Amino acid sequence: MSGGVYGGDEVGALVFDIGSFSTRAGYAGEDCPKADFPTTIGVNAEEEGPADMGVEQESNSGRSYYIDTTALHVPRAGVELISPLKNGMIEDWDAFQAIIDHIYSKHIKSEPALHPVLMSEAPWNSRAKREKLTELIFEHYNIPAFFLCKTAVLTAFANGRATGLVLDSGATHTTAIPVHDGYVLQQGIVKSPLAGDFISMQCRELFQEMNIDTVPSYMIASKEPVREGAPAMWTKKDKLPPVSKSWHTFMCNEVIQDFQASVLQVSDSPYDEQVAAQMPTVHYEMPSGYSTDFGAERLRIPEGLFDPSNVKGLSGNTMLGVGHVVTTSIGMCDIDIRPGLYGSVIVTGGNTLLQGFTERLNRELSQKAPPSMRLKLIACNSSIERRFSSWIGGSILASLGTFQQMWISKQEYDEGGKQSVERKCP
Amino acid sequence: MASGVAISDDVIAHYELIRVRLQGTDEKERFKLVVMRLSDDLKNIIVDEKNCLKVKDVENEKDVFKKIISMLPPKECRYALYDCKYTNKESVKEDLVFIFSAPDDAPMRSKMLYASSKNALKAKLPGMKFEWQINDNADKDASSLVEKLGGSKIVTSLEGKPV
Repeated sequence: MSGGVYGGDEVGALVFDIGSFSTRAGYAGEDCPKADFPTTIGVNAEEEGPADMGVEQESNSGRSYYIDTTALHVPRAGVELISPLKNGMIEDWDAFQAIIDHIYSKHIKSEPALHPVLMSEAPWNSRAKREKLTELIFEHYNIPAFFLCKTAVLTAFANGRATGLVLDSGATHTTAIPVHDGYVLQQGIVKSPLAGDFISMQCRELFQEMNIDTVPSYMIASKEPVREGAPAMWTKKDKLPPVSKSWHTFMCNEVIQDFQASVLQVSDSPYDEQVAAQMPTVHYEMPSGYSTDFGAERLRIPEGLFDPSNVKGLSGNTMLGVGHVVTTSIGMCDIDIRPGLYGSVIVTGGNTLLQGFTERLNRELSQKAPPSMRLKLIACNSSIERRFSSWIGGSILASLGTFQQMWISKQEYDEGGKQSVERKCP
Repeated sequence: MASGVAISDDVIAHYELIRVRLQGTDEKERFKLVVMRLSDDLKNIIVDEKNCLKVKDVENEKDVFKKIISMLPPKECRYALYDCKYTNKESVKEDLVFIFSAPDDAPMRSKMLYASSKNALKAKLPGMKFEWQINDNADKDASSLVEKLGGSKIVTSLEGKPV
């Protein structure tokens, strides 16, 4: 795409959107991020570490990191996978820095001191962490100007709303975040762990029940075509290093995630055994060559998102289904703004790309919402926009000439200290 | 959070014109609708002159409300001030309504800019009692505005048309 798409004053700002599943980074003004890679990174705790391809520079703790899709997928002995984020907030600062370093050296290929940075954050991010991040950005990276923006606000703005309820269903959490006039209403945030990772867990259990081995592609040297339902015939790569458990699980999860995206579908009405039995089956082939048809399971697994009461292993839980997350969140907001929230329910996040997700949510909400309310669900049709909506929002904002006055400049930081983030980026 | 876009003095001047009824001014020269947009360089919010309506422009219209709606472009975002005439159970009312039109079909960039600048604009136009957001054709219905004005139980007619 040409740099002239968005116009505006050229400030060369960068936009970072770091989620618990994937990290997105790129230049402001462009319409999609330059880099999109897993936030999960490999750590080699051993001191020596041979000169290896794809290894990132040693950090001060003596750990070496393997970042980005390519380096991550190479099987190595002793490499554990970790995520620097926990619950959407930065937990492991050393690993977080490694990601930022990686973005600058491999994707942006420029000096941090040359570009202002707009970063997104979880709406429930704590004050201490925001200040620490601001400190890191200015002291360590010497960045000329910085802005911190809540993901939900960016998503709402990008959909043309200053007021609305942002339903973000990602990897670890499904969250409802009320936004009013461009500000997040903290007291109304509702979180539920029923999200992408939960579905992956359900799929893993299904495979166990059906006696299907999830074999990640890194183990497979060759495979033979087999008949449908027949046991897979594949040979294992020899000379595989003894990989860590966390790394193996991550690779298995990738297989499952592909299964999730290609097979599962959300039923448009509450799950019914008879209806599900009549679902057209979908043929799916695992990396090992095993293939079979999936029918009722296609609907049964994602059903847990909306109706957790029947999920095995979760009995007696108090988790909220997606529909309830929305209504509970709105119920905790002031009665005067509720119509505005019901009128703009903005659906975002990778997990909402499951087939039939928005249709089912619409149905659930129209039953649960007070009958007098006008209900409207907003979901971008393109998967790019749904996955990157907060990055794109940040990109547009940061590329604006007039936005320059909003940044926390280096000078302001020097005068006001790290507290300036609370004042400038509420 | 805001975009940093400035509000032009012309917008403030038009706001005073539509809000205050000065003695000796011709009633027909008063504004009925002031439409505002972002300037081409994206730095200011300015008055979109060619889409504004004066009282004399609508006096012969059969359906004033429809005329007002037609001034908002279908695929671009706009802000507008609308001097709305309606009756409720007690009396004939005239109130200013702040309209924010961000059609779902508008480009994302434009939606982002208008949504993030809205608060800055509203802060310069104090005393606005009603705000009406339009996102699609369903919102352009009179019933959607009536709801904002207090609901069909209270409002009995809008621009001379019974609801």
